[in-house]
Amino acid sequence: MDAEMVLLVLVVVTALSFDFTNGFHDTANAMATSIATGALRPKVAVALSGVLNFVGAFLSLEVAATIAKGIVDSGAISLSVVFAGLVGGLLWNLVTWYFGIPSSSSHALIGGVVGATLLAAGTSAVKGAGLLSDVIIPAVLAPVAAVLIATVGTFLVYRITSRVSERLRVGGFRVGQIGSASLVSLAHGTNDAQKTMGIITLALITSHTIGPDDGTPMWVIVASATAIALGTYIGGWRVIRTLGKGLTEIESPQGFAAEGSSAAVIFAASHFGFPLSTTHVCSGSIVGAGVGKRLAEIRWGVAGRMAVAWLVTLPAAALGGAVAWKGTDLIGGALGMGVVFALAALIAAGLYLASRRAPVNHSNVNDRWTGRVAPSAQVGERVA
Amino acid sequence: MSDFVDVDSLWKVLAVGLIGGAGLVAVFAFGLVGLSAYADRPPGARPKVLGLVLACACFLVVAGGAAAGLVALLAK
Repeated sequence: MDAEMVLLVLVVVTALSFDFTNGFHDTANAMATSIATGALRPKVAVALSGVLNFVGAFLSLEVAATIAKGIVDSGAISLSVVFAGLVGGLLWNLVTWYFGIPSSSSHALIGGVVGATLLAAGTSAVKGAGLLSDVIIPAVLAPVAAVLIATVGTFLVYRITSRVSERLRVGGFRVGQIGSASLVSLAHGTNDAQKTMGIITLALITSHTIGPDDGTPMWVIVASATAIALGTYIGGWRVIRTLGKGLTEIESPQGFAAEGSSAAVIFAASHFGFPLSTTHVCSGSIVGAGVGKRLAEIRWGVAGRMAVAWLVTLPAAALGGAVAWKGTDLIGGALGMGVVFALAALIAAGLYLASRRAPVNHSNVNDRWTGRVAPSAQVGERVA
Repeated sequence: MSDFVDVDSLWKVLAVGLIGGAGLVAVFAFGLVGLSAYADRPPGARPKVLGLVLACACFLVVAGGAAAGLVALLAK
């Protein structure tokens, strides 16, 4: 195996790893509310979401071989920039998962690529206008739209069903929740797995393994779909807990209104080509579901921490991408990439081990919220 | 500002989101009201078939909306 081939393999493995973290970070978007209201048992929810992500990945196969299109100059994209960008995005995904914060995987990836490009090709290769119009402004507008729609939906749902028996209301909306959460999972597989397929296809074209017009090989599609589905099934329980229990206490009518709003906004945004992040939409919808129900308590501290993380995502991932690119460049070649890959794997393992000290999993994901991601075993402590 | 925001598609997203998100959710709720009229009856009372018809119609509309959403997603 020559050096070029080693580079390519490392990029593909990193892309699939990113795809995996993308899946497990975003399980919460579709399933947090269904898990919190008991519409689905936790294990069943993540399995359903995983299967639907897998199916969704095959629904549309017009893969665009791009990364951060319109944001960085496509001429500046080399294998090492793609690699460093993926590492930056991946590490930020893991850090936010550790703290249980739902942050956007797409923003993390774009941030990583921007950071790597800044060092590799200079500031002129990054298009500020594209960054503003495709990333920053939508990040502000998406949650606002979702909050608005979910508030209206939740308000209507409670008004309309005020005389429906409790049994029928809880049961009926649980069924509705499963349906709407399934739609969100399907859309996630379609949108996000395609990004990874696009990145791997781009890497294959860049390394002249396939021609520019060859289209995406089947193994790339199957591998990307499998990685995102597995990630989803493993389940980012820490993020699920923050969205399902931390932001507000959710009842099944609220959960249904939230997922209905998320599905509608995500579908509409993909159709009209408005670049919204699934994570921002889903988090906004859950806040809206809290606002729309009278006297529901929203923990604005948790929401605020989330908003801060969204602001930090781009620069933090950019820093990670820049450091990864610099490290790769200093050592050079396949060895440089290998060393950076090994370091990233070490950091990932460290975060995993740290999370084991206070684990969140399917058995304690719905425990009472005590102000922290990991439920503690002590009783009688303050409620944040 | 409008140089950086595709205002036209933003409005469309908001409008479709309200119709599909809040609207269909409300239709589903009306379906439950119909189902309640049919199922939540006092013992001995006749079941209100109209409620069941309303419920079926509402749930069909919601399912149709979801299907239309899927088609739109794939036809981007």
